Amino acid sequence: MIMPRGQPLLLPASPGFIWGSLLAALMLDLLPLGRVLWMPDFLAVVLVFWSIHQPRRVGLTAAFAFGLMLDVHQASLLGQHALAYTVLIYFAIMLHRRILWFSVPGQALQLLPLFAAAHAIAIVLRLIGGAEFPGWQVLLAPALESMLWPIVGALLLAPQRRAPNPDANRPL
Amino acid sequence: MPLETLDRTPPPFFKQEPSALSRLMLLSTLALFLMVADARLHVVQPLRAAIATVLYPAQWLALQPVQMIQELAGYLTELKTARKTESAARLKLAEQSQRAGQVEQLLLENARLRELLALRERVQVPAKMAQVLYDATDPYSRRVVIDKGQLQGIQPGSPVLDESGVLGQVTRVYPFGSEITLLIDREQVIPVVNTRTGTRSVAYGDPALHGGMLELRYMSTAEDVKEGDLLATSGVDGVYPPGLPVARVASVDRRGDSSFSRIRCQPLARLQGVAHVMVLEPVGDLAPTAAVGAAPAEAASAPASRPGRAARGGRS
Repeated sequence: MIMPRGQPLLLPASPGFIWGSLLAALMLDLLPLGRVLWMPDFLAVVLVFWSIHQPRRVGLTAAFAFGLMLDVHQASLLGQHALAYTVLIYFAIMLHRRILWFSVPGQALQLLPLFAAAHAIAIVLRLIGGAEFPGWQVLLAPALESMLWPIVGALLLAPQRRAPNPDANRPL
Repeated sequence: MPLETLDRTPPPFFKQEPSALSRLMLLSTLALFLMVADARLHVVQPLRAAIATVLYPAQWLALQPVQMIQELAGYLTELKTARKTESAARLKLAEQSQRAGQVEQLLLENARLRELLALRERVQVPAKMAQVLYDATDPYSRRVVIDKGQLQGIQPGSPVLDESGVLGQVTRVYPFGSEITLLIDREQVIPVVNTRTGTRSVAYGDPALHGGMLELRYMSTAEDVKEGDLLATSGVDGVYPPGLPVARVASVDRRGDSSFSRIRCQPLARLQGVAHVMVLEPVGDLAPTAAVGAAPAEAASAPASRPGRAARGGRS
């Protein structure tokens, strides 16, 4: 198998952990913290992570379903997040073979336009629907999501980085 | 125990699923269809209610830590702050008790006068208390979610008050909660009467201004409106009972180039961080049809429920 230099062989990801982490990200998005315009969308970052690392497990349908849930929770237009997530995950799947060859900060930089596009879709949809632009702070959200990428990556890959046969020198 | 090092299922060779592009097309068409159905046709409420019911346990769980922190913060509030809020509350109570004393007498007087004039009785509207769970995070609208829903008998369209005035209207009802659109939402309109002069008008929400205000549109510059005037619901819409305080006029801007003045009003209800609200039942067809006549009452109730875009065409 051709692999980027220096990347360790990973254990297979457990489906329970994948769906557990997606639910945890959904819970983070559901936290009632008030109207914060720059709040990053944790669910989008985790969805992109799994669709890049496990494209056979997490795909467009899951993104669509999670998007609908967020639409209901946020009382926004039904289908707005669903469309943004579907497009986001489509481009993430298109990228997934290429992007893992970059370093982690490089990956974050490559994903920045993707996150920005997802937010732009929501903004354009609402402007067409007759709403007003809420303020420049919404532009911070994709940047923060991109900054979350290394942290999310380190957390979610940790179980796969364990040693397959733990011994005294490698307890984990 | 050594862990599995290989995926149990190798990638399928011959069984191919639909490609990502075709799935993208299908799902984005579905999303666009849903958005049109939601924004224009208003037919997706059952789907929304179903998703909300599925999501309810997760929402409840997410609410717990935040409520716990709020309670803890409330517990640790300084004594001084608590004393200050208590004295403010007592002051307000004293002010209100004076007015309440007058109200008893006025009610009696009013009932006799109405009897005399053979007018309809004022409607007593049943009310339910509810707790605000969270502000909806959608940055394009101003909504809050309360903890009472269909199961507690909340009806869509019900007016919602807080302790100082009208807060908004119930726009969506789920089994375990409902959404309230605040007065300052762009799509919210409320018919009001100026309590000093008795002039009727319609107040439109304007969320962009100083954290949200109301605007009285189509009031000619000759109209008698002053800063500090109290606006109350006029009751011609058949949704809000008449006489509820809504807003106070904050600024009147009479411009030379227009025959309408620009009137901004500050809502009386607390729109940020309101905790407890009262949901009234919509007055419905009990509107004073005898006094106003059927046609104007209908015309006035149309903007109160949900104005189309045509109604907002004359935005100045």
